Amino acid sequence: MGRTYDIVNPISLDQPWGRGFNAAHTHAFADDKPLLARNFLPRGLGRSYGDVCVNDGGTLLHTFRRDRLLAFDDVHGVLTCEAGASLADIAQVMLPHGWFLPVVPGTRYVTVGGAIANDVHGKNHHVAGAFGRFVKSCSLYRSDWQSAQTVAPADAMFPSVIGGLGLSGLMNEASIQLKPVPGPGIMQETKLFGGDGRIDDCLALDEQSSAWEYTVGWIDTLDRGLRGVFFRGKHADGPDEWLAPNAARLTMPMDAPRWALGRWSAKAFNAAYYRAQSMRTATRETIPLWQFFFPLDAVNAWNRAYGKRGFIQYQFVVPTVAARETVPRILAHLREANVASYLAVIKTFGDLASPGLMSFPMPGTTVALDIPAPNSLDLRALDRADAMVADVGGRVYPAKDARMSAAMFQRFFPQWRALEATRDPAISSSFWRRVTTSQDTLE
Amino acid sequence: MNETNVVVVGATSAVAQAAIRLWAQRGHTLTLVARNAAELERIAADARVRGSPQVTTLTGDLTERKFIAESIRSTNAPRIALIAYGSLTDSARADTDVDYLADELQANFVSAALWAQLLADRMAANNAAGGSIAVISSVAGDRGRGSNHAYGAAKAGLTAFCSGLRARMATRRVHVVTVKPGFIDSPMTAHIAKKGALWATPDAVAAGIVSAIDKKRDVVYLPGFWRLIMLIITHIPERIFKRLKI
Repeated sequence: MGRTYDIVNPISLDQPWGRGFNAAHTHAFADDKPLLARNFLPRGLGRSYGDVCVNDGGTLLHTFRRDRLLAFDDVHGVLTCEAGASLADIAQVMLPHGWFLPVVPGTRYVTVGGAIANDVHGKNHHVAGAFGRFVKSCSLYRSDWQSAQTVAPADAMFPSVIGGLGLSGLMNEASIQLKPVPGPGIMQETKLFGGDGRIDDCLALDEQSSAWEYTVGWIDTLDRGLRGVFFRGKHADGPDEWLAPNAARLTMPMDAPRWALGRWSAKAFNAAYYRAQSMRTATRETIPLWQFFFPLDAVNAWNRAYGKRGFIQYQFVVPTVAARETVPRILAHLREANVASYLAVIKTFGDLASPGLMSFPMPGTTVALDIPAPNSLDLRALDRADAMVADVGGRVYPAKDARMSAAMFQRFFPQWRALEATRDPAISSSFWRRVTTSQDTLE
Repeated sequence: MNETNVVVVGATSAVAQAAIRLWAQRGHTLTLVARNAAELERIAADARVRGSPQVTTLTGDLTERKFIAESIRSTNAPRIALIAYGSLTDSARADTDVDYLADELQANFVSAALWAQLLADRMAANNAAGGSIAVISSVAGDRGRGSNHAYGAAKAGLTAFCSGLRARMATRRVHVVTVKPGFIDSPMTAHIAKKGALWATPDAVAAGIVSAIDKKRDVVYLPGFWRLIMLIITHIPERIFKRLKI
């Protein structure tokens, strides 16, 4: 919807979405002749939870004003736009014409450049794979190139761009494949699972849902029984009023107080949520797709709900063979370590590989937990969880990370050196410096 | 309705771009005028994707008399026009650089008045349909202030010109609306985390302009609370006002 400054991280441009700390930045805006000669990091709408969107001591080069839609091929469904265009804007312009994004993450307030740089995934990963699979081409500025160049899937640079955390260049434009949809609705089914401390029910529901385009589970990680709610959905038609998201948006007016954020509040919240879901009369209904994909976007600045000290999100994936056994073990470990968690999400990934060098998804099961204001005990518990993930060949998601150690990151992503080799020498991020500099050499 | 042609002068400004998106979504045809050809082409492409059936671009020096006349002559019957360009004059430089001062007054007042006059005549000549012209002036034009005397004076002139033009055109089916925005969130102010309530986004200002044209308003302050602020400012006695650092 036009110049959407109010959707740029509304709290501060010097924080990531998870908040918790303030970085010192100088700010610049990408224009038709961007200045690339110094330590900078391209940034879209700042929805990454941790420091992949932070460049402490350097420059943030903001792209959110480069948001023009440049061409749409309505025969093949290919959209070319500037990299700062938001998925929110694209969805709203294209939905009335019967087109939607091929992959959407949990918020629509991300730019195309950010979606590519983090190779985001969505509830359709099991049938569609990650966002990077739908990039037809993009153009990059690099400090070591004379002018913007087009990078296509066949080019050597392409794998470094997809999931490249913005390090491989400043993206100017991208062409992405959209998909036709019957209308603005999602036919959704809800089922309860778990209670026995295992995730087998949830995995079984996944297996039975291969005909469903979207699947995701909400899981109460504070409950020994690991009870949860499974959602599956497919595109459906709906009334014209659903073509645009509900204009009446709430804004989180203040930071939540600390007392509201402890383990007992989380337990109470999770229990209330589970009860609300289990008492719903309709287990099958058609709802606006905005509500299905982006429930949190209905509240502006929802990250304030986690208070001034912010929160971190911990998202890991473990391979299919290990999931059944390892996921409950990691969740039990975090529960026993008294790590509070709201609204954990569980999702089984498919085996469609992304062209990205550093893509997070792999065939297996992923869990994402929100942890408010982690203390040193929480962080130590997460370090141990990292080790459990690494032992079975899994990995932790950089786009959400603010704390993993360099050693762990390099174990999760041994291919990081290939990205480092193609990184634009003028681009860096707090995240990249943190995970590529080993503790021994840190001053 | 889809036959409506909208002329936007200064199409690369943030407010103009946001207004163009709203008109493009309505399916209006557009004539976009600006100096930066490359940016203008991107804005035109964006308008096409968003639903405008036809977008024409004109590139040139917006302050040049010949370009103004030729642009209007070459434009298909305009029904709506937005004059959106301006230059925020540096008062300190204007104090010492007379050529700069003259150029700024020419840009902010003389050339904008010419666009408004010629567009109004063109719309009136097309008298069955008539038209609407929105001219972006400024709250700064309501009273000359020490901090921006040259800019304020040019905008004051433009406000007075629009008021007179509105009266002249009242019987000729041409509606003129004077738009007085307050502080607009520009790209370079976007990083100031706490800008306070006085700052409005270009989106909000653009929505106000489109609505003012729809409702045939005469003078709009955007956001509306600026009417109250300026009411107070214009009533401060000059003896006191001249000593205020505002």
